[in-house]
Amino acid sequence: MRAEAAVLPEALRPPVLTDGPVSLGGIDDQVLAFPAKKPPVAWYVAFAFTFAVMAMGFTLIGYTFYMGIGVWGNNRPVFWAFDIINFVFWVGIGHAGTLISAILFLFRARWRNAIARFAEAMTIFAVMCAAIFPAIHVGRPWLAFWLLPYPNERALWTNFRSPLLWDVFAVSTYFSVSLMFWYLGLIPDIASLRDRTTSKFRRVLYTVLSLGWNGAASHWQHYEKAYLLLAGLATGLVLSVHSVVSFDFAVSLVPGWHMTIFPPYFVTGAIFAGFAMVVIVLVVVRETMDLKNLITMYHLDTMNKIILAMSCLMGYAYVMEAFTAWYSMNDYLHHIFMQYITGTYGWAGWLTISCNVLIPQLLWSRRVRRSYAGMIFVSLAVTVGMWFERFVIIVISLHQDYLPSSWHIYKPTLVDFGILFGSFGMFFTLVLLFARVLPVIATTEVKVILPGAQPAHGGDHHG
Amino acid sequence: MAERAFAVVGLFDSAQELIEAIPRVRARQVGRVEAYTPYPVHGIDAALGLRRSPLGGMVLVAGLLGTVTALSFQWWMNAVDYPIPIGGKAVFSWQAFVPVMFEVTVLFATFTAGLGMLFLLNRLPFFSHPLLSSKAIAAVTRDKFALAVEADGNGLDVDRARAALLTVGAKMLEVLPFPSREPSSLRFIFRATLGIAAACVVAGYGMYWTIKLFPVLPPMVHMQDQPKLNAYKASVFFKDGHGMQIPVEGTVPRGYLPYTISTQGEAGELVNPLPRTRQVLQKGRKAFSEHCAVCHGALGNGVPTLTSAYGAKPANLQAQTFRDYPDGKIYHVIMVGKNAMPSYAADLTEDERWAIVHYVRVLQRAQNARDEDLR
Repeated sequence: MRAEAAVLPEALRPPVLTDGPVSLGGIDDQVLAFPAKKPPVAWYVAFAFTFAVMAMGFTLIGYTFYMGIGVWGNNRPVFWAFDIINFVFWVGIGHAGTLISAILFLFRARWRNAIARFAEAMTIFAVMCAAIFPAIHVGRPWLAFWLLPYPNERALWTNFRSPLLWDVFAVSTYFSVSLMFWYLGLIPDIASLRDRTTSKFRRVLYTVLSLGWNGAASHWQHYEKAYLLLAGLATGLVLSVHSVVSFDFAVSLVPGWHMTIFPPYFVTGAIFAGFAMVVIVLVVVRETMDLKNLITMYHLDTMNKIILAMSCLMGYAYVMEAFTAWYSMNDYLHHIFMQYITGTYGWAGWLTISCNVLIPQLLWSRRVRRSYAGMIFVSLAVTVGMWFERFVIIVISLHQDYLPSSWHIYKPTLVDFGILFGSFGMFFTLVLLFARVLPVIATTEVKVILPGAQPAHGGDHHG
Repeated sequence: MAERAFAVVGLFDSAQELIEAIPRVRARQVGRVEAYTPYPVHGIDAALGLRRSPLGGMVLVAGLLGTVTALSFQWWMNAVDYPIPIGGKAVFSWQAFVPVMFEVTVLFATFTAGLGMLFLLNRLPFFSHPLLSSKAIAAVTRDKFALAVEADGNGLDVDRARAALLTVGAKMLEVLPFPSREPSSLRFIFRATLGIAAACVVAGYGMYWTIKLFPVLPPMVHMQDQPKLNAYKASVFFKDGHGMQIPVEGTVPRGYLPYTISTQGEAGELVNPLPRTRQVLQKGRKAFSEHCAVCHGALGNGVPTLTSAYGAKPANLQAQTFRDYPDGKIYHVIMVGKNAMPSYAADLTEDERWAIVHYVRVLQRAQNARDEDLR
């Protein structure tokens, strides 16, 4: 079989998913050693920095609670601004993890196994960051639980025909399912950690967390079935969560929001932004944790190709937005679209188009796809671009509504920026903690795809 | 080994060796054969003769249950218990309920798949499984493949089991004692449910008191305490400490110029300032039917829609006396009242009063039409 594979043209050859020979035990020695080791000084420095930024964010959220949301730049008619932009941005970041863990699993894209764990963790952290914003946005966050339908003394029920309520269900389901998926994947790895550790405390902790997993074939059978089912269920979520988020906009009658293209447009943007974030984090993890043989250039190259594909889809969506504005012959829609590219915030529209459509075209070049500088540059551009895309959609559409007398130029305050950066601080604090506490690579899933890991029946590359 | 053994375990170096060994050990019929592996091995289910996992069916049922639950809850909440009519749409608009139905379906299905697999099918957590305290476990969760011959209903013949494993090439044989306890998953589920219930009660009470006390504490009322003048509250802005002030003497509100005429004679001199346009007459008819017709009748003929229980007899505006009244006198009566009729100054604006005067004239002319009017 090996000989046969060698004669195939390169594009058809099964990808080599590890650099150099990797043994079953070698993976454990490499990946599972981190939780037991003392982190390097650089980790402490990075952690102190991100933690400080997170603390600043939460202090400013406390300040917002104390003073009221008047400390933000939001004012009529721009009632949705940084709060909702950040929410949509972070929920979107999470989508890459779910796509990698669910859709790529169903497609049997074996290269996903090495990066799925980290991407799933990033999903969970991103959704945690996202969940902050609608909660603080309601103004009296201590009453945010009114969003839930529960029997109350006011004898009221929530309005299930509101997209804002669909959002509550979509995001909370998304978080629960992502957490379940992540935890199920972790169980066998935690069991490996349990059997490696020499510390008594850790042994008890890992035993409880792994629920006494023993790797029985009869257990694996149910486990694999559960994993497949969860992948199928989460696939629906990848497509539905950001669609529901887009309904918050599309179901309203604001020109620039009321468009049928919104659900696929939002889902594409979410996967796009999420993959960019995964690439940024994986490059750092690959270098600092010395995982070059498990997360190979092939992985990064493949992810960059997905970013490129998504970028082209984004370009199509932008063109369709312009086409819809023109073809609708609706003065209001036309006016708002012109505001996207020529108004006070026209620079944001062009920044979005440059970062999301033009710069990622660099990835057509194999050299850029395989160079750190190239991929980091593109990914940072995409992250900035996708944040500004939501700025364009939300702020520009709102700042000039039907009544010209209430038009208003929105200016964010320092508090707005502080909370935005604070959410980044929280995200990276959690990422740093995760990198040191839990296995960053799903060792069990990588073992499955190693050459020779499966009994031979028709070729070793298939397994 | 004198005590009763749970299992004999042997290790293999590769999945290939394991899968080849399984049918040979099973053929010897020494006990229940089970494999322990670091990752799922292809084809092992068939080799061990495992039955298909029933998880798919469980998840399907739970998912459908979620769909039905979400639909019926939304129907009951939004169409029965608290109907919210929006834009004349049907209160049971199932299309709008689809997103939540989908999410709840996924939620029910996910929890069934995850927790059902762990707790119901695999009967975890099982902390006292003998393999966990064996020497083999560190290799099993790392890179070795264990084959175990486990006790069935008849107990386990350790020597035969050992021989079976040795024949197929298993290494590092180990005899495992019976676990001190049975799998604890049911107990675990029971305890977890109790724990969650207790946490719910504590959280519920905590939430109740927090919500009761929290919003009235100083930072939380910040948005209510605005530095604005409130008509019915104290204010430090004015010397007398009141928020609402008495207007400066002689202040006249717009549209309410003081009415100084006191006699009908004087009033007769007033001239109706409004033109007799269709608009004015429509305004007059509206005001007349709202304020005057109830006593004077829709035609102004003094036949009231009120019952006879009302003592006073309203004036018949069609009478010659009133047809001869100058406009100003009718206006004056509306302003100050007459006999049992109170003043309507506060109920009507100046324009409405003059419009009524015009309209009364129309009623009078309609009921006493001249020949040329009919031509």
